[in-house]
Amino acid sequence: MAVEDKDKTATPSRALSGLEREAERLRPVEVQHPHALYREVLPGVIQAPADYLLAMARKSSLWPMTFGLACCAIEMMSAYMSHHDLDRFGIVPWASPRQADVMIVAGTVTKKMAPSVKLLYEQMPNPKWVVAMGSCATNGGPYTRYDRVVQGVDKLVPVDVYVPGCPPRPEALIDGLIALQEMIMRDRGSIG
Amino acid sequence: MTSPHEGPQEAPIVPPPPGTIADLFQEALPDIEFTATQGAGDVILIVGRDDVPRVLRTAKDDPRLDLKYLRCLLGVDHMDGGLEVVYQLYSFTHKHGVTIKTRLPLDDPRVASAASIWKGADWLERETAEMFGITFEGHPNPVPLLLPDDMTDHHPLRKDNPFAQVEEWQGVRLGAEASKAGHIPAGYESIAGEGGEEDGG
Amino acid sequence: MLTDQERELETLDIHVNVGPQHPATHGVFRMVLTVSGEKVVDVVPHIGYMHRGAEKLSEGMDYRQALIYQDRTEYLAQFNAELCYCLAVEKLAGLEVPERAEYIRVILTELNRITSHYMFVGAFATDIGVYGTAFTYAFREREYIQEIFDAVSGDRMMYGYFRPGGVVWDVTDDFKDRVRWVCGQTRVGIDDIDRLLTKNEIFLTRCLDIGVISKEDAIDYGLSGPMLRACGLPFDLRRAEPYSIYDRFQFDIPTGTRGDVYDRYLVRMEEMRQSVRIVEQALEEMPDGAIMPEKAPRRLRLPPGEVYMRTENPRGEYGIYLVSKGGEKPYRLKIRSSCLSNLTALKQMVVGHYVADAVVILGSVDIVLGEVDR
Repeated sequence: MAVEDKDKTATPSRALSGLEREAERLRPVEVQHPHALYREVLPGVIQAPADYLLAMARKSSLWPMTFGLACCAIEMMSAYMSHHDLDRFGIVPWASPRQADVMIVAGTVTKKMAPSVKLLYEQMPNPKWVVAMGSCATNGGPYTRYDRVVQGVDKLVPVDVYVPGCPPRPEALIDGLIALQEMIMRDRGSIG
Repeated sequence: MTSPHEGPQEAPIVPPPPGTIADLFQEALPDIEFTATQGAGDVILIVGRDDVPRVLRTAKDDPRLDLKYLRCLLGVDHMDGGLEVVYQLYSFTHKHGVTIKTRLPLDDPRVASAASIWKGADWLERETAEMFGITFEGHPNPVPLLLPDDMTDHHPLRKDNPFAQVEEWQGVRLGAEASKAGHIPAGYESIAGEGGEEDGG
Repeated sequence: MLTDQERELETLDIHVNVGPQHPATHGVFRMVLTVSGEKVVDVVPHIGYMHRGAEKLSEGMDYRQALIYQDRTEYLAQFNAELCYCLAVEKLAGLEVPERAEYIRVILTELNRITSHYMFVGAFATDIGVYGTAFTYAFREREYIQEIFDAVSGDRMMYGYFRPGGVVWDVTDDFKDRVRWVCGQTRVGIDDIDRLLTKNEIFLTRCLDIGVISKEDAIDYGLSGPMLRACGLPFDLRRAEPYSIYDRFQFDIPTGTRGDVYDRYLVRMEEMRQSVRIVEQALEEMPDGAIMPEKAPRRLRLPPGEVYMRTENPRGEYGIYLVSKGGEKPYRLKIRSSCLSNLTALKQMVVGHYVADAVVILGSVDIVLGEVDR
């Protein structure tokens, strides 16, 4: 679009027209900071490594599969609800494993349930992560001496974050999920 | 199970005072042998295994007893004393309740099913059967209720069934000695103490 | 309505697996529905996915440690389960509970009943299709009460606060004021949810005359709690077999008439209001004093005997059958699960309804899988 060549320092004697305001807005900004992400390539376009962008997108929109098994599920639900609110992190509970990113195993895994856990994990598409919430998912918890209980979900699926507690407070779960987000960001080179 | 210097003791048989439900049972079934004892809450009637179907049927149908509500059905493993099935009944009309118990020998743990008398006994008997290995004769659907299908060979609530072994403690794989109850891993003896001695807590 | 041509069509009944992982099953519960078209012909519930052996593990712990399994078994009404266990142990041991501890227990138990019913209303409304609104309201109200529990016992959920003999430590100084505030807030919260749901036309259509069970069948199946009261039998253990100090309080027993899903919802809503009444009365009368008996034994060794202690849980009659043969550990601790008995009637209630109603009926039973499977 045609832009009138104006002196930048001169104050206009009349109101700027729409086109002129648009040109003023889109004028590229020089940022001298050497680590600045915004470069002067095209106005309004971010330049960043692709894995950085992908990792940022993945960590900001983690959709957990609702896998509340036992008591920890109630604390997980508390974390989703308005008092602690996981939605502000982009974490929206989603029932179907096919559209989920992370499986928060909240509760005891028994040997009867173990095939379902494995099947659901395999149904989730990559990249996927697993958060073992609570002591039952970590190592069997208070029920570890019973032979029908799987002593920790890491005997079935690879776990990325362990959140201790019986049950962990919603704040602890949020801490675990933030740690998962940092982990995603940190390991961004190795995830496809 | 019990503290090491005392063996398991049985509760003494305390005959209930007159006027309780034991007398009503005696009237309704004069020819059956009962042992009545006053438990901590209810009257407990101990009957023989073969009398159980008649006793339960009379308990439900007899208008003086009218015990239409089966509250609880459980099994107890008395080790050498055999297995025991306990029925807890209640009546809404007469507002009385009773506990009926029967002993089963260890080598032949069979008893008639109460599923035809109370519909709620169905699942309770399934659970007791899989936990103790008791056979309820006449049960319409004797499949396991809580246990996975491939693990019904040993019965968890029997006393000779041990606790599971903790496989890993603080990242260290443990051996067979960990399966003993009360095992304290190496390095933790100082904090283990004698098993918790806080006042009132 | 089917035409003659349609009636002659050969159709196949399909099995729909409402599997262990499902947003509407309140935990790991599996039911296999056999449907003909949309109508359910048969339902086979499969439970046991949360069977963790609380009864077996309690035999390996002494009486103070076995309390923790009660919390985790009934993980929505923990104080109720703890109260039942403590009463059972006290009955056998012959312990006298001091007055102040009794009142604290009753207040916390009734507040826990309120949180449990809030959870029911939230989850039930989500099953019906009120996606998120009632659930969020319910959790907001629960948080107010959970903060009190957190201040008193140190944990938001697994309290472990009751002990055989009393409670483990005294409440904070601002306990009475906080509970009074929460009572007022709960009344407002119940009215909020009431206005949202009770006279709502869609709610009524989905709940009225669904999942009806008669009184005789309910007694035969062993139903208890709001399910039995919705059928028309005004039986509440707090009134019929009073335990603790419930005989000192005035409260009504809400009873339904039709035995359907709507009546169960109404009974639970009204029970919340009655619980607030009990809490307010208890706050007035609560004395100062000790919270554990004077001569509380350091190691709890019970004489041989058996007791069946039953309390009115939010879900029904929760019972503990405790067999003691002397010693410090329970010989047999059987948990009479209210949800398991309530669930036995599922087939009778569901068969003949549509698939969507099956979910609503399951929601109205208000199951907690930790208690069903133990």
